[in-house]
Amino acid sequence: MSTTTRLASLAALTLALMAGPAVAADTIKIGVNEPLTGAFAASGTYVVNGAKIAADEINAKGGVLGKKIELVIEDNKSNPTEAAAVAEKLITSDKTPVLMGAWGSSLTLAVMPKLEEYEVPMLVETSSSGKITTSGNPFVFRISPPSALEAASFAPMVKKIGLKKVDFLVINNDWGRGAAGDFAKMLKAEGVEVGLTETMDQAAQDMSAQLSKLKSSDADTIMMTTSVDQLTLLFKQMAALGIKKRVITTGGSQNPDQIIAQAGAAAEGTMHLTTFLPWAPEKTPDPAATKYFLAEWKARGHQFAGATESFRGYDGIRSIAAAIEKAGSAEPAAITKAFWDVKMTGLNGPIAFAKSGPEGKESGQSKPTVYLIKIADGAVSEVAL
Amino acid sequence: MTRLLPLALLVVLALLPLGLKDPYLLNALITTGIFTIGAMSLNLLLGYTGQLSLGHIAFFGIGAYVSALTSLGFDVGLPFGLRVTHEGWPPAAGFLLAVLIAGLCGYVVGRLSFRVRGAYFVIVTISFAEVVRLVALNWIELTQGPLALTSIPFMTLGLPGLGEMTFRTKIQNYYLVLGVATLSYLLIARLVGSRFGRAMRGLKENEPLALSVGVDATRTLTIAATVSAAMAGAAGSLYAHYIRIIDPDVFLFSYTVTMVIMVVAGGKGTLVGPVIGGLIFGLLPVALRPVMAPEAQWIVYGATLIVILFVMPRGIAPALAALGLPKRAPAAPKPEPARASS
Amino acid sequence: MDQLLQHLVNALVLGGTYALLGIGLTLIFGIMNVVNFTHGALYTVGAYAMYIAAVGLGMNFFVALPVAVVAGLALGALIEFTLLRPLRGADIDTTMLVMIGAGIVLQSGALWIFGGVAKAVPSPFPDAPLQILGASVSWLRIFVFLAALTLIVSAYALINGTRLGRAMRATFQDHDTAALMGVNVSLIYTATFALGSSLAAAAGALLGPVYVVFPQMGDLAAVKAFAIVILGGLGSITGATIGGFALALAEEFGAGYVSSGYRDAMGFLIIIAVLLVKPTGLFARAERIG
Repeated sequence: MSTTTRLASLAALTLALMAGPAVAADTIKIGVNEPLTGAFAASGTYVVNGAKIAADEINAKGGVLGKKIELVIEDNKSNPTEAAAVAEKLITSDKTPVLMGAWGSSLTLAVMPKLEEYEVPMLVETSSSGKITTSGNPFVFRISPPSALEAASFAPMVKKIGLKKVDFLVINNDWGRGAAGDFAKMLKAEGVEVGLTETMDQAAQDMSAQLSKLKSSDADTIMMTTSVDQLTLLFKQMAALGIKKRVITTGGSQNPDQIIAQAGAAAEGTMHLTTFLPWAPEKTPDPAATKYFLAEWKARGHQFAGATESFRGYDGIRSIAAAIEKAGSAEPAAITKAFWDVKMTGLNGPIAFAKSGPEGKESGQSKPTVYLIKIADGAVSEVAL
Repeated sequence: MTRLLPLALLVVLALLPLGLKDPYLLNALITTGIFTIGAMSLNLLLGYTGQLSLGHIAFFGIGAYVSALTSLGFDVGLPFGLRVTHEGWPPAAGFLLAVLIAGLCGYVVGRLSFRVRGAYFVIVTISFAEVVRLVALNWIELTQGPLALTSIPFMTLGLPGLGEMTFRTKIQNYYLVLGVATLSYLLIARLVGSRFGRAMRGLKENEPLALSVGVDATRTLTIAATVSAAMAGAAGSLYAHYIRIIDPDVFLFSYTVTMVIMVVAGGKGTLVGPVIGGLIFGLLPVALRPVMAPEAQWIVYGATLIVILFVMPRGIAPALAALGLPKRAPAAPKPEPARASS
Repeated sequence: MDQLLQHLVNALVLGGTYALLGIGLTLIFGIMNVVNFTHGALYTVGAYAMYIAAVGLGMNFFVALPVAVVAGLALGALIEFTLLRPLRGADIDTTMLVMIGAGIVLQSGALWIFGGVAKAVPSPFPDAPLQILGASVSWLRIFVFLAALTLIVSAYALINGTRLGRAMRATFQDHDTAALMGVNVSLIYTATFALGSSLAAAAGALLGPVYVVFPQMGDLAAVKAFAIVILGGLGSITGATIGGFALALAEEFGAGYVSSGYRDAMGFLIIIAVLLVKPTGLFARAERIG
């Protein structure tokens, strides 16, 4: 019964909206498509909380084009089918002219056909799969680095650290597999030997088997790509197995503070490739913005450890606002065009989109700064090279 | 009642897009429809033979992958230095192959697993689905693993006299799904009403008795499993060409749970049950989305499930039928024995 | 050689916890004929109860453990009383679906209350591992292993050495006759479900400090528990124990020597193979089919 009523009321609403743009919107809507329940709930929630800070900051300064921005936040349930449905809802029911999303790569890839269908642009804040910017979707603009880019940024550091032989232990999804592939290619080009590549299921909690295998390998370094929770477990289990090899993690979702808090001494000496330095705001490209963001993050009662994840939501919304400002109107086509002209300083470096993918249908890819940090004496420090 | 309800439902569903222009709701109806086809196919096993398959998504996923790979093409190395290279074929061929190969898998799994019953069968099917998911995840050369198959073409259909039709818009896909669903419904209705259907029900209600009157249990169950898997494969193919990207997440256990909920809450062993259950549990999340917090939506979803089963332990459709027909027709299913096979 | 020994030690430690996960489920499965889809959620509840007690309320680690187990016991009894008792006589699919619904509610409730960010429970043991012949293992894992064995042996003794256990076994074999002989079958069902639930919660409370605590932690645990139960045969504590160790060995050596991508497939492949050869599981008593 209630379903029927809902259908009817929504249909009526749609008709009203289709009657014309007479319903003058006094806000500019931005659709946010993130996992708030299911396997990636923690990360998606962080990103949304970062996005809210950006929206409130922009609105406090008078909004964009004289209007306030309004985030329409929807949960994609960590499920690709739902991610596509959410995009459909945001674009067609809520009439958002631009989206941000959708955290994971399979969630983002599921949304992409919808962007082409409705010609609405989306800012991709977290996904790392190469396919997102190489499959010829001109409505995609990404601020997170794909693993090939991260590997390229790491290349100059390889010799200085003195890597000789590297094994990989990665989460068995596009992110981990992509990182293992791209870093291995880069390392070989740098003359570093590449040994084993071990994988673990996204939900796995006991990785002793994989670690035992790596323990007996002759590599001096293990490169790891996975979520902060699995990294914490890996460090604890490495300590239990008595593995003392150099560890370098990639992917930029490490939350070193959570690792220090939860893995304790087991995290000592580990190195992490990251794109944001919240523990050293003065070293970030825009110290004032970083300090504002961190203060606001703390004031809202969020855990400091989440900042390495949530800053992408913050930067994502700020990039979108910049594009809308440049576009001069909140129309999807104008915003898509304006994204190419965005030039701003994000919390992790310059945000500007370079063309990527097949000619004529290029996606936009920004190139963030990559830092190498080390955990020593229970604190985080940047590795000076 | 039992004859009119499905027909009325079909008419309503066929006319719905004329009044409903909201693409979001159409999209929800299309994905709901696809999973309802999956639920109907599951009902053939669960409802009519009493065998609970908790690995049904495996056939759905196999259908999706077969159809996507057939239309995209692939190039894969096999043991002994063999190499298979395949250029993309039209999606309609993918659909047919999806039905055939999913059906074949259903046959093999059925042959092997019907040596066990009850809870053991449940676990064999879960195991099968997990193994298939892990193969899809790790056989990267064929499936691209977690990197996903993208840019899957729209479904196209060459119709004699009408030329080639591409299912690009939502309305087109809506009627495509509705058409396949109607065909599946008719096929199941036909099958259930036949001698074969009586054999299935006989096995469910009293296996020793059915065996004693000459029903070949393994053969009957295997045929049911084959048809059921083929139908799930068809739904998977529709899914692949509608969503246009698939990755091993298509084998998520939660999709199987969704289909089981649709069947059991709707009324297993009835023809309209999975359709009613499918519409309710497919559209419930859509209705809940604007009303409450994401976590609360899940809590209400779970609680709704519990309440429906408390009020109507045999599902919605049988409860509705009992309302409409105070005097139970003799064909109505008998109450289950308290201890089902274990 | 070192690697082989390390894998063996890992498998032994992991197997103990797998066995603990399995026996709770096998009891409920075997005695009540309920496919308990809240098992994973109760495991999660046990871990969160441990977190609340040890971190939130600042209790001693060894005091917090029994508190978490009692929480699981109480919640199990509540679920049986409110959800399963009214559905006695309904078929196995209906009760299974109600359990799925309850599992969704519990898991989403955990997400709602605690959020998705993982919590850690500090270990009271030294960080430096114990070294034996080149293999090493953490003190916490040794404690968890011993605690799991103690719980398994206690459960076994309860089932085989007490009046309650005898009544449970009688109910398992033939609940009608048991009822005729004066066994309070309703009480036995509540006791069984509460016992099974407390074992799941105990597994969660023991493993929470080893791993981390988050709302979806029960999903994988439940899948493993199902695998273990089927390997061992329904209703058999001995079977579930051996099943737990067998699964751990298969995973450990599968990941170590075959391919880590197929680590989680090993258990399922064994299950399929076992059922094809011996359809009633490795250790089950002969059961009627149909």
